[in-house]
Amino acid sequence: MTSIQMPQLGETIVEGTILRWLKHEGEAVARDEALFEISTDKVDTEVPSPVAGTVTRLLVAEGDTVAVGTAVMEIDDGAAGATEPAAPAAAEAPAPAAVPAAPVPPPAEPAPVAQPAASVAPVASLPDRGPRSQIVSPIVRRLAKENGIDLATLAGSGTGGRITKRDVLAAIASGGPPGAAMPSVGGPTGLAGPARVAPPAPAAPGAGEELVQVTHIRRAIAQHMLASLQTSARAWTMVEVNVEHLVRLRDAARSAFEQKYGAKLTYLPFVVRATCDALLTYPVVNAELRGDDLAMRRFVHMGIAVSYDQGLIVPVVRNADSLNVPGIARAIADLAGRARSHELKPDEVQGSTFTITNPGPYGSIASVPIINQPNAAILSFDAIQKRPVVIDDAIAIRHMVNLSMTWDHRSIDGELATRFLARIKENLETWDFSSELGL
Amino acid sequence: MSGVAVEAGAAGHGAEPRGKRGDDGQATYLIAIAEALWEEMERDERVFMLGEDIGAYGGAFKVTEGFIERFGPERVLDTPIVEETIVGMAVGAAMEGLRPVAEFQYADFMSSGFDEITTVLSRYHYRAGVPLPVVLRAPSGGGVRASSFHSTNPEPYFAHAGGIKIMCPAFPSDAKGLLKSAIRDDNPSLFLEHKWIYRRIKEQVPTEPDVLVPIGKADVKLEGSDVSVITYGAMVHKALEAAESLAQRGISTEVVDLRTVHPFDEDTVLRSIEKTSRALVLYESFRFLGIGSEVAATIAERAFEHLDAPVMRLAPPNIPVPFSPTLEDAFLPQVADIEAAVERLSTW
Amino acid sequence: MATNVRERTEADRPLPDERLREVLRLLKLARYFDERMEALYRQGRLPGAIYSGRGQEGTHVGVAYALEPTDSLFPTHRDLTAQLTKGLELKRVMAQYWGRIDGYLRGRDGNSHIGDWYGNRTFAVMSHLPIAYPVACGAALAYQRAGDRRVAMAICGDGATSNGRWHEAINTSAIFRLPVVWVVNNNRFAYSTPNRGEFPIPTIAERGASYGIPGVRVDGGEVLEVYAATKEAVDRARDGGGPTLIESVSLRWRGHAGHDPAKYMPAEMLEDAMANHDPVRNFQEQLLGWGVVSEQDVAKLQGDIEREFDEGYEYALASPFPEPGDVTKGLWVEDGYWTSPPGRGGGTEAG
Repeated sequence: MTSIQMPQLGETIVEGTILRWLKHEGEAVARDEALFEISTDKVDTEVPSPVAGTVTRLLVAEGDTVAVGTAVMEIDDGAAGATEPAAPAAAEAPAPAAVPAAPVPPPAEPAPVAQPAASVAPVASLPDRGPRSQIVSPIVRRLAKENGIDLATLAGSGTGGRITKRDVLAAIASGGPPGAAMPSVGGPTGLAGPARVAPPAPAAPGAGEELVQVTHIRRAIAQHMLASLQTSARAWTMVEVNVEHLVRLRDAARSAFEQKYGAKLTYLPFVVRATCDALLTYPVVNAELRGDDLAMRRFVHMGIAVSYDQGLIVPVVRNADSLNVPGIARAIADLAGRARSHELKPDEVQGSTFTITNPGPYGSIASVPIINQPNAAILSFDAIQKRPVVIDDAIAIRHMVNLSMTWDHRSIDGELATRFLARIKENLETWDFSSELGL
Repeated sequence: MSGVAVEAGAAGHGAEPRGKRGDDGQATYLIAIAEALWEEMERDERVFMLGEDIGAYGGAFKVTEGFIERFGPERVLDTPIVEETIVGMAVGAAMEGLRPVAEFQYADFMSSGFDEITTVLSRYHYRAGVPLPVVLRAPSGGGVRASSFHSTNPEPYFAHAGGIKIMCPAFPSDAKGLLKSAIRDDNPSLFLEHKWIYRRIKEQVPTEPDVLVPIGKADVKLEGSDVSVITYGAMVHKALEAAESLAQRGISTEVVDLRTVHPFDEDTVLRSIEKTSRALVLYESFRFLGIGSEVAATIAERAFEHLDAPVMRLAPPNIPVPFSPTLEDAFLPQVADIEAAVERLSTW
Repeated sequence: MATNVRERTEADRPLPDERLREVLRLLKLARYFDERMEALYRQGRLPGAIYSGRGQEGTHVGVAYALEPTDSLFPTHRDLTAQLTKGLELKRVMAQYWGRIDGYLRGRDGNSHIGDWYGNRTFAVMSHLPIAYPVACGAALAYQRAGDRRVAMAICGDGATSNGRWHEAINTSAIFRLPVVWVVNNNRFAYSTPNRGEFPIPTIAERGASYGIPGVRVDGGEVLEVYAATKEAVDRARDGGGPTLIESVSLRWRGHAGHDPAKYMPAEMLEDAMANHDPVRNFQEQLLGWGVVSEQDVAKLQGDIEREFDEGYEYALASPFPEPGDVTKGLWVEDGYWTSPPGRGGGTEAG
């Protein structure tokens, strides 16, 4: 069967009209014999048959105008299949694929909270040192980024106070900007300056090396961590907390608690409880910096860092400030369990207002965690140890723990950070949690 | 072929270009070009020249003075006023194994042969695979009070044709070496000789016949660190003059002479921008759609991260070249304009 | 079926029988090709345009047949028959029409914008008219310089004689006495413009006088007349006698291009031409009359031609398209595109 189409006679012709059928259904036709007359913008002409055979079907009517390429007639020429491509026009309308727009991407592998894109901040606005001090040229931006120069600390020698390439090169040559206004921070790990972008490792393994490709979760974690360092003006403070009575309370209550609530009683729920109070007292620590605005909240969604086989994930206990210790314990147990079995839902790993990490069980006594963007701070609750302490000028052995907090100096200052931690310390040292346990 | 009578005793006839160098052995740009033609004509008898008044008369600028006496009227062909047919004949002769060098009396008259140049010469090899080793030569450029029909810079028209290599040397040695390369190259070439430079610039020029300047390579004529001036043709000399004066004010200018404008040497240009981070693209054809527009766009695309200031162009406005001295001087970029532009860039 | 064949004597036969048969084959091939290609075009199966040479076969075969293989030909879009006569292969011509890699120009140009310089010394056709005339001067210049007795021939239509290039080239060729033959295929219409809209004098041939060269007017319906006049001009050029202008008169039976219904052509003009000045039928009748061919020979010839066309069509459709990645290659000589076989991975389905 041969399909006869409306021909294109002329480069700009897009359609033609069938004026008159010269052959009708059932009639025999020889090759090159005229089949029908057509009219186009340029010419009226006859269309000859490409094959010999019998006309089987007329697909359109005299007077119809159809697009070039439309099948208008079928001829049975004894050929096995269609010898001409089927007409593109008319025929089956493609079934529109119904793609229900998912509100959140499927949680195949939960990743640390917050979009890395949002947390890669553009160059923050520079100090106003002249009418052109805000202009950052491509070479200036690049040299500053590659060499870890904070442009805010440079005085531009260009017209109108613009920072020039020369200014940045000079800063690099002198080993960094003089009199940087970064707060001195403790910690052996060193927090000064944004991380350099590590050069990509060479592709081939060296002697004795094996290259193992990282998972995309690891990649996502890496991106998030790096972005966090490049976003927040990190500072760090630590306090020591005497948790003697907390340890005793927990030891006494743990088995009954587990029996009643079906969840293990760790120290973490107490810390969360104490921290929620501090967050509501000092809401700036619970806030999120968005451009020039601080989003203040009257609720706490507590992110709990959980370590699992894929790496690190931070499920969120929503409205943690409305839960008591058992409630928090149950929430944590549920989230951590489902984290480890890869059953968390997307909205369970985002939206935190503050994050707590608890490396204590693994033995660290102080940590410098990386802020979980877009939070303003992250609290680390490390290992509880018996230590000699001074009480009333005498040495005693008490259970002590360090609470370290990495905080964003863009929105938080040292005094606030210290007060905040002091509040948590006070809560942990002075509250009577036993009434909450309901045992 | 009709013979051309040569008057005995006419000034300069019969003397080869080499004999016209100065006592110090320096050659002007014009003599260097004549030397290139003469040497290539001697080296390869397939090379021949055609154009108007190039035979007995020696050419409108006397570039071909003495040639017909040495090489005969078959190889120094005087044509009627037939720009289309000059180019067409060059194409046909090249297809039959000759290596024609066709002269336009002024670059301005190339437009009379536009069709043969852009439809036939620049496209034939792509379409049909027959090499066309044709060289078109023309005196171009202004600044000589010759008004709009004798001051054209035609390189943008023919760069847009696609298949023609276009050279605009600024110095005698470059001119000699580039013209040789063009004659020996199997692709169509357009060799533009800036008439302002013809007799004004001279230098020591190689005498060995196989010293070539590669097509498509720029040359840093002056090294500097603050601003790159990317330019070609007569503007190179103005840029160098401006650079001298700027140096006394503590601004270090690098002058990059493109030499070949299509295709142009992107790598040398980009290396210069990497060094200085500031680019002034200086050219004599109209600002709009000139070679410099292409250079500026390339710098912006490929050297963005090296820039400490926007890429600037300095070129004449899009009007016919005027005659009166005050008008032509206002039309062309002057040394003072170049200095001001470089200074503006260096303090941006 | 009235014919108007001028009675010829044996002495009018300028060629041996075998070559006369060759001429007939070329005429019939040209006519059949034109008819089949038009049908394919009307069926929408021919991409691009067609420019019919129907009715002008006497001109095209007649002039080209007078050339030697080493002579060069500079034709226009309408002179495909002259190129076939010069030696281009039908199947490769068809591959060009369908834009395939085995076409002479590797898909870089289409339909009758074709040429085969290294094989048959024909210049690849360009649309501007008559842009090849000046190039013919250049080839002739080279022959003159080499003294090798080769000749260049350029063909254009009646309309192109209005263009400055036409005058420039002929004038220049006369000044230099170049070995070139200037052919004008006067088929009476330049697109829709009749002769009186293109030249204000009775003939084109008389223009030769203003350049000091011979101008000859021949009947394009009589291939042997065309051939004889052309042979004389070619010999003159070969012997250093300079250029000749030949005006061969016929009628363009079809429109300027496939889409042009040619309503501007008076019906009687066309009827008269088809009835009385059909170069193919006239020559066939002539040869039958002379006994150079029999009816069976003619039938066999027709069969061979039809087969050649069908094979060419198959060849064309089986030839792959050029590879898209090669699109920027071949501009400069140094990339070697044209001196190596082309990539054949383009497939036979258009994208």
